[in-house]
Amino acid sequence: MKNKRILAALLAASCLTAAFTACSSESTSSTSSTASTAGSEASGSADASTESSESAGLMSDEEIIKKASSENKVGNWGLGNEYEIQALLSKYGLPTDYITMDFTMDQIDQDTITLASAMTYNELGLIKNSYDGGYGYGDEIGIIDMNDEGVAMLEDMLFCTKAFAEANPNTVKAFTTASMKGWVYACEHPDEAAEIVFKYGSSVSADHQKYMASEVAKLVTTDTKGNSVPAANVGQMDDEAIQQTLDLAKQYIKIDDAAAAEKLQALTLDDIRSKDYLTYDGGAVEKADLKIQLKWLPQSQFMGYYVALDKGYYTEVGLNVEIVSGGGDVSETVAVNNGTVDFGVTWVSNLINANAGGMELVEVAQVYQRSGLVLCYKKSQFTK
Amino acid sequence: MKSKAIRNVLTTVGLPVLFGVIIFTLWQTKVLHALFGTDEIILPLPTRIGSIISDNFTSMLPQITSTLIVALGGLVLGSILGYFIGVAGAVFKKWGMAGLTIVPASNAIPLVALAPVINNWTRNLSGVVDIRSTVAKIITVTIFCTASMSVNAYRGLTEVKPFSEDLFASYGSSKLRMFFKLRLPNSLPYVFTALRVSVPSCVIGAVVSEYFAEQVIGVGRQIRENIVKGQFPTAWAYIAIACAMGILMYVILLIVESIVLKNRRAR
Repeated sequence: MKNKRILAALLAASCLTAAFTACSSESTSSTSSTASTAGSEASGSADASTESSESAGLMSDEEIIKKASSENKVGNWGLGNEYEIQALLSKYGLPTDYITMDFTMDQIDQDTITLASAMTYNELGLIKNSYDGGYGYGDEIGIIDMNDEGVAMLEDMLFCTKAFAEANPNTVKAFTTASMKGWVYACEHPDEAAEIVFKYGSSVSADHQKYMASEVAKLVTTDTKGNSVPAANVGQMDDEAIQQTLDLAKQYIKIDDAAAAEKLQALTLDDIRSKDYLTYDGGAVEKADLKIQLKWLPQSQFMGYYVALDKGYYTEVGLNVEIVSGGGDVSETVAVNNGTVDFGVTWVSNLINANAGGMELVEVAQVYQRSGLVLCYKKSQFTK
Repeated sequence: MKSKAIRNVLTTVGLPVLFGVIIFTLWQTKVLHALFGTDEIILPLPTRIGSIISDNFTSMLPQITSTLIVALGGLVLGSILGYFIGVAGAVFKKWGMAGLTIVPASNAIPLVALAPVINNWTRNLSGVVDIRSTVAKIITVTIFCTASMSVNAYRGLTEVKPFSEDLFASYGSSKLRMFFKLRLPNSLPYVFTALRVSVPSCVIGAVVSEYFAEQVIGVGRQIRENIVKGQFPTAWAYIAIACAMGILMYVILLIVESIVLKNRRAR
């Protein structure tokens, strides 16, 4: 009798430990899949899939969006990344609900989400490419591009506080032009840029950095309408595109705080961006030691800054720059606003949100000229 | 007798209230801001936070309800599970204490790590995201609430006065009878001790589990969204709501405890 009890107890205890080890091993495997977003050699580039969307049997983009929405299987990360998706859903008269995605593509892999948000340079490569950690769907993945749908909002750009820009105009000009020089070089030599980023501490594999660099270069050198942007115009602000971003932001940023909501609606282009800092005429810099806060972990998404640092473009103009990587819930707008860092990289919508909330931030260079956000889907889910 | 009771109320209620008023005054007069070197964007004034809550209370209600369901669901399930583990530990004495050390170890797993794992685990549970997401959140809170109850229940069931054990033994009472007549009632105050820990922590658990949930709803989710988006006054409004929920539940617990344990207090 007693032996039986002990046996049962042991059994229960081992079940418990097994359950917990299973939990912890699962968590490590899921994090490792995020980290190893390796892309061997950009197998299947982002554009390849758009052409095949007319192939026999596949639904139209509108039908796909409507089907996914009716099943409540549209995914996004939230946290300010959702506005373009909500604009797209509204465009087709659909409710703006979405499911929260974690930072893997497991949900689309397992079909709990059928229309998943992806950045062309990151998650799209992860789901398409076949390599260690990738999902290897290749051309089975179709995409819906925010630029084509007319709901593009501009993303990565360089900003600082208005007060900092006014007090240190030469510093801001020198930093901006040196950074854009880095971006121009990076876009012309994406492979080399990817290697430089990898050297400075990478969150993803060298192969995926290369994939990312080539995709990011497309975003920097192509505008929302698909026209190419000449090297001299890298970082320039296309007022029409920023205005569209601001208009969509006013429509889809929901703020409970009445004062902030009112401020949001009153914002104009001049409240969020300034074109005064795009050329530098060699004046003495007011502040030489600078810090720039990235929006995410070190990766080719920010290659221009790493190239400028590595190639000595910053030291050429008398600046000593430190790049601070982001990630998780690090809020780059807060870091810049409270003076922890001098510059930040964020999406235009985040700056609009922050300024509505009372910060005084100003965009000084628009690096990405088109939206890098797409919705991706498995074609097998949307055949007629 | 009466004056003593009044003095009791004054010290148990008056002191915390006085402390709250002092903090509120320092906050509203921006002394706190100077003290912590922060500004009104990061730490908005209490009046502003209050006005956001009163302006949006109806739209905040679904968020509050969602969090409340998760917190209470997890608290109830976790407490029941914890108590049964405590009972199992008391019945199977040989391994009881050793086995019980495993349970608090589960609390050492950070919620932040646990929540995504449970999300993954419940993914195939239901096609409806609201259901599977709620279940995932409740499981997270359940795990969070189990440990303190199991350890306290075990103590309550085993730490009985030796003479009462002897008394039961001398009357030749069965183990089962001893369990229901002696151990179970003896564990009741310990249950409340456990609840004093798990009631506030179930709200924290619910808030954190929402951070990683598939569903875009809940007080915790709103805190995170608003902080990342730089909307600190709104984030603080939800933080205040989360605090109020925790405090309110704690007060209810204290009232229930004072009623249930009325006869024991006198001793």
